[in-house]
Amino acid sequence: MSQTDLPDPARPKEQITTDPSRASERLRAGGLTLTIGPWVIAAVLLAILPSIFTSNAALTIMNQMWITVVFALAYNMLLGQGGMLSFGHAVYAGVGGFACMHIMNASDFFASFPLPVLPIFGGLFGMGLALIVGSFSTRNAGTVFAMISLGVGELIAACSVIIVAFFGGEEGISGDRTYAMPFFGNEFLQQIDVYYLTSFWVLVSAVLMYLWSRTPVGRMANAVRDNPERAEFLGYSARWVRFFSFVASGFFAGIAGGLFAINYEILTEENLNTASSGVILLVTFLGGVGLFFRPIIGAIVFTLVQTVLSLQTELWAFYAGTLFVATVMFFPGGLAGLMMMHVPVFKLGKARLLILPYLKTLLPAAIGTLALCALVEMTFHVRHAASGDHEMTLFWTTFDSHTALPWIVAIAIAVVGLGIARMTAPALRDAWNEANTAGGAA
Amino acid sequence: MSAPALELSGLKKSFGKAEIIRGIDLSIGKAERHAIIGPNGAGKSTLFNLITARFPPTAGTVKLHGEDLAGLQPFQINRKGLSRSFQITNIFPAMTVFENVRCALLWAQGYRYSFWHLVNRKRELTEGAEAILEQINLLPRRNLPAGTLSYAEQRALEIGITIAGGANVIMLDEPTAGMSHSETDYITDLIMKVTEGKTLVMVEHDMGVVFNLADRISVLVYGEIIATGTPEAVRADPKVQEAYLGAALEAEH
Repeated sequence: MSQTDLPDPARPKEQITTDPSRASERLRAGGLTLTIGPWVIAAVLLAILPSIFTSNAALTIMNQMWITVVFALAYNMLLGQGGMLSFGHAVYAGVGGFACMHIMNASDFFASFPLPVLPIFGGLFGMGLALIVGSFSTRNAGTVFAMISLGVGELIAACSVIIVAFFGGEEGISGDRTYAMPFFGNEFLQQIDVYYLTSFWVLVSAVLMYLWSRTPVGRMANAVRDNPERAEFLGYSARWVRFFSFVASGFFAGIAGGLFAINYEILTEENLNTASSGVILLVTFLGGVGLFFRPIIGAIVFTLVQTVLSLQTELWAFYAGTLFVATVMFFPGGLAGLMMMHVPVFKLGKARLLILPYLKTLLPAAIGTLALCALVEMTFHVRHAASGDHEMTLFWTTFDSHTALPWIVAIAIAVVGLGIARMTAPALRDAWNEANTAGGAA
Repeated sequence: MSAPALELSGLKKSFGKAEIIRGIDLSIGKAERHAIIGPNGAGKSTLFNLITARFPPTAGTVKLHGEDLAGLQPFQINRKGLSRSFQITNIFPAMTVFENVRCALLWAQGYRYSFWHLVNRKRELTEGAEAILEQINLLPRRNLPAGTLSYAEQRALEIGITIAGGANVIMLDEPTAGMSHSETDYITDLIMKVTEGKTLVMVEHDMGVVFNLADRISVLVYGEIIATGTPEAVRADPKVQEAYLGAALEAEH
């Protein structure tokens, strides 16, 4: 199910109107309300989240999350909608961000408009760069495109230490967002103000990117992704379709860069390099390529891992990598695809059948996995803690990492937990099949 | 007298030293149904690919309504009113049947690379696509991913995509390849219906289909046309019988 990616999220909605006789009439009548619903929910969520997570740290995390969401959606315009794998997309966000920093520092100009307008400049600069690079890189999709994107990405990242006037060398460029014209008296001094600015832009960008996927050129992007040759024989130049997707993606990546500039008030080479480009690829895959909203899930999960987990352990990147590999290997549709797998079960009203088998398998599996993590942490502690420091705290337990007992306990829990999961897995598979079969007693 | 719909003169194609198309002159009139037949390896599909600029010709010209197509890209030729199908089913398998047809309508309805129209809000797009689906009898399959259709249905969809843009020259490459008898009859009727009043050029192996559909037939053997004429004339031509048709007709009966 997750492998046969349905290319757009509007399909289920259209299917509601499946009346072979006169679907066109109904589409027009019901289409609007069905499409607006999720956006209203998203807007309400964005508005009330700060009342639930009130701390400044939480606001910072959410800001980062929404910036990643915009960037991941922009990236998915390329990878998911257009079938173009880019290894250097961070430069479009980065250049957009750098441009915004320079605008912040051009105090007279910056003081002439309110801060919420700034990301548009980021978008325009990202788009400008995409116009230039896209003019030659979109000739082909596939490997050629991927290699050009990697080359251009490296090139511009290298420029950061060469063109110091624009990229600021190793220190990067910093600025002060509060010099903008006050926006209804607001100078964006506090995190919460920035949160609402970011939320506004994430919503606007997401809506615009979604609408883009419903336009002729957005539809043809899917067609070119699936079968460029056929698209050419329908009157569309595959190259131009790719070019337009690329430029649009550059624009929204630039918006993400502008939001980054507003949030952190500093941009460095890190915003341009291959590692950042790799992260956004990872985020998009983690959520799931293809369907429009999937990368949002990836952005949220990855940001949580990156921020919350990194406070707990130095090895967070190791766990993020493991999660990524596991997702790509076992759930090609990504985390969102994994969730979507359950939609038919709920439609059949058989979700209850899955609760107990899930508990029986996933709970021991989770405990076993945590025990494995404990082993990793203990190994790390033994190898890297200051010499003589034998005491470590893990899962609210303090113990001596150089004695045998904690190791034995962790190994035992891991073996038992994963063993139980393995034993109960067939039962889960049966329950899954049962839950996905129509009819029978629920 | 107006120019013929399609005119080939001195058309040649070599791949390295191998000469696949060895000088073809052919003129196909407006609203004519023209079939190209010939044994395997005669160069029929290559000829198709030359006409539609999938490959560049080594020599010679292709004219569509009197206009030279040299140097044009496939998408530009398509915009001039020539549309083709493929020997191997060539659709958008992950998209729905409806979307497949709608994509084929976009350029023809003048949307070009627009990003300021929403396709769902365009009544003429939806209705146009549904009209095509009705013609090819796939309306009940409207919302299925095209890849899940049966083989015959995919072939029908391919024809639907090919005709959707309103091209006046339709080229079909073996539309009935790999089909059962009943499926072949179904597709033949469909082709009859949808190419009404249009120029049809088709490559076909099934002699039944060819003699049913074609106004004129060209026989292609080793990159050369050895005969062109009405089905009766071609059937009676001794060269054709020797080279190809005799054996094929015997196999038919």
